[in-house]
Amino acid sequence: MMALLAILVDTYRELSSKRLFWLSMALSGFLVLCFAAVGINERGLVLLTWTIEIPLLNTSVLEPGEFYKLTFYTLGVRVWLAWLACLLALVSSAGLFPELVSSGTVETLLARPITRWRLYLFKFVGGLLFTALQVAVFCAASFLVIGVRGGAWEPGIFLAVPMVTLFYSYLFAACALLGTLTRSAIAALLLTVLFWGFLFTLNTSETIVNSFRVAKVEEIAAIDRFGDRRRQKDPNVDISDLETERSLAEEALGSLRTAHRILFTAKTVLPKPEETVALVERWIVDAANLRSVAPEDGDDEPSQDTLAKRRRGRGSSFGSVRARESDVLEAVRRERDARSATWIVGTSLAFEGMLLLLGCVSFSKRDF
Amino acid sequence: MSEAAIDIACIRKTYKGRVTALHEVSFRVEPGEIFGLLGPNGAGKSTLVKILLTVVRPTEARGSLLGRPIGEKAALARVGYLPEQHRLAPYLTARQAVEFSGALSGVRRGERRRRTDALLDLVGLGAWKDRRVGMFSKGMRQRAGLAAALVNDPQILFLDEPTDGVDPVGRKEIRDLLVRMRSEGRTVFLNSHLLSEAEQVCDRVAILLQGRVVKQGALVELQREGAGQELVVRWPSEPRELPGCAGPPRVHADDPTLHVHEIASLDPSDAQPAIDAARAANAVIVSLVSRRQRLEDLFIKAVSDPVTGRPLPPGASR
Repeated sequence: MMALLAILVDTYRELSSKRLFWLSMALSGFLVLCFAAVGINERGLVLLTWTIEIPLLNTSVLEPGEFYKLTFYTLGVRVWLAWLACLLALVSSAGLFPELVSSGTVETLLARPITRWRLYLFKFVGGLLFTALQVAVFCAASFLVIGVRGGAWEPGIFLAVPMVTLFYSYLFAACALLGTLTRSAIAALLLTVLFWGFLFTLNTSETIVNSFRVAKVEEIAAIDRFGDRRRQKDPNVDISDLETERSLAEEALGSLRTAHRILFTAKTVLPKPEETVALVERWIVDAANLRSVAPEDGDDEPSQDTLAKRRRGRGSSFGSVRARESDVLEAVRRERDARSATWIVGTSLAFEGMLLLLGCVSFSKRDF
Repeated sequence: MSEAAIDIACIRKTYKGRVTALHEVSFRVEPGEIFGLLGPNGAGKSTLVKILLTVVRPTEARGSLLGRPIGEKAALARVGYLPEQHRLAPYLTARQAVEFSGALSGVRRGERRRRTDALLDLVGLGAWKDRRVGMFSKGMRQRAGLAAALVNDPQILFLDEPTDGVDPVGRKEIRDLLVRMRSEGRTVFLNSHLLSEAEQVCDRVAILLQGRVVKQGALVELQREGAGQELVVRWPSEPRELPGCAGPPRVHADDPTLHVHEIASLDPSDAQPAIDAARAANAVIVSLVSRRQRLEDLFIKAVSDPVTGRPLPPGASR
């Protein structure tokens, strides 16, 4: 316990001795100030004392508390914490492990009554302090802004602290391993960013392919629905156009299923940073029903004119021509929510655990 | 026999690629002595120390450190170590660096603080306790490193080139500290190239070459090997051989009118027959001096090829 505390304090001192740490803190503070300077009233968006009239963004559409929560999540969490602050944290802490294994430092640490794997893991936990501190400060300031300016005291905001730290830990586990293997901060940073880029690309590809797959399922359901409806009206009606469309949709669905299965399998074993952060959205933003899509009226078969427009890509969702946009979006959302937090975090942590194990083994087996 | 501070039955280290850094090294270091491990660069000195301190994994290690098997971490709580070219974190103050070292060794907070203050005063950094190590000179960093190595009140202190970069006053202070530690019953294990320094403080030494101990023993005993007395005589005519002397005399290097007779003993009574014979032959006795091997001579002899007299290559072997 004493050694853990000493390493945590030492890592904090190391990180806080870097200008980037304070720059990142200052940027967080600046962002919260900007956050506090913006608001909404019955006419539109308020910037300090000026009101910019926006018909779709005022208190008749959105409560001030909900506006702040939405802004906190979309800008504060998704853009700032999950991207920019995380990148700054990686830049600052990429040197922790190369420094740990550098000649002249590692000898004095290893010649202590502390096992190598503990030393490695304690240093790793220390490295997470950077992000945890950043996020905690940002969340505390945002909590006050949402409470004071939006009138909604939302302790759920603090969920972002463990979730963003968790998100960062996936990347930092890779950075720690690469730093130990290469002994170079720059190499560790670049390779980690590449790894992050790969995860992002994989996640985006899987999301897009899955959305098209879900849309195609909805498309087939809509075609069947419209076919049944036509037959109810006239049992002898010709539905060959729908049958052709259905067979084409099924063919496309087959290909999409195969592509999605491959991407999903790859994604299952790898960490899921975006989806981990998106859990904050589920728990904070969706809980307030801020994103629900209003259902469209009626379920009539679209006219030939509408179909032609959708075929040209206008008014369609993920290539669905027959299905309603709201149905597709709702199905995509249902699909997303069907992935439990346990699956997202559990499988990501399993991969992180493997990286940490590799790091510990590499650190323990090496001569310095 | 009391329990040794370090008892190495066999340490072997072969790196990948079949490079052998240490070949079945064995020796014993007694408690309360200053032991010098000497050897040319690449002889395996640092590897040996690093194996004892779990920094390098041995191919084979049999023996004990403070009564525990080599490689057991628990023994390291009572060990201090100052590696060669150590790096204290530049963002820490001297006080923080020493306290961090103590915390890793499990020294309790109050004790750690008390010892940190006392040690920084002892190594002459009392006025620099709260300054960052990054702004220290090499000598000051070495002193801070020494304080960090001592913070857990070690039973054994391993020092790798401790006076490297330290000014002459600092060197003397470090030597005095080592002697003080010995007087307190602690063991000091010194790795050094500086033979003159080792000669001043070491009780026993081992000389390592190509991963093998080529000579070891009490320094006084080793220096006695080949020791003797030199009787310098001015002969009125042709020089003669004298009783008790080893062979005919040689001409003095500085004064060709003098001759040197070597007596293969340090006992003054063994010189008396030669003196008597010389005086009986009307020779003038100029001087009688006892001659011991300097550590440097001992070292050079140990690391040289006995046939050619040239220094052997020091490094690891395949």
